[in-house]
Amino acid sequence: MVVDVLLGFGVSLELLCCLGVLVMRTTYDRLHYVAAGTTVPAFLILAAVLVREHVSSGGMDAIAAVGLAFLLNPVLVIATARVARRIDGYEAPDS
Amino acid sequence: MNAFEVAATALLLGFIPLGIVAVRSRPIDGLVALEAAGVLTMLILLCFAEGFHRSFEYGIAVVAAVLSWASGLLFARFLGRWL
Repeated sequence: MVVDVLLGFGVSLELLCCLGVLVMRTTYDRLHYVAAGTTVPAFLILAAVLVREHVSSGGMDAIAAVGLAFLLNPVLVIATARVARRIDGYEAPDS
Repeated sequence: MNAFEVAATALLLGFIPLGIVAVRSRPIDGLVALEAAGVLTMLILLCFAEGFHRSFEYGIAVVAAVLSWASGLLFARFLGRWL
């Protein structure tokens, strides 16, 4: 029951983030939804996995996967936003 | 089908809006969709690994998380240079 609720919320929020990428008009608005996809929905799905697996080998791998996505994704979002600003003419290109 | 298999199958639907963005929008918006698709892939692999009770598949999710991040950075670099 707990697993079903966690998975339901996690999947719904992740699909909402995907829809947000489609619906939003600017690149920067879309990036907000990409960044959100690695926070609450990913941790809800991780929680559902950990309820079943506990802290086994699979559970540790799941923590590593979601943790890496959570920690590394902001770097990617900022890099993409900087490139978008450059393409839009707000920053000079790299030499 | 157990709950994790249903969740993974439902998450596959998320590729449809991302594909539409990748095809119809600017290249930089396609990159944003690609980054979202990388996260989605990692979560789908996690759900399938738990759904099928195959512990080695969790490793694939970890590799997907790292490689999708690296590929996003690489594409961002190329787009910044040549667009």
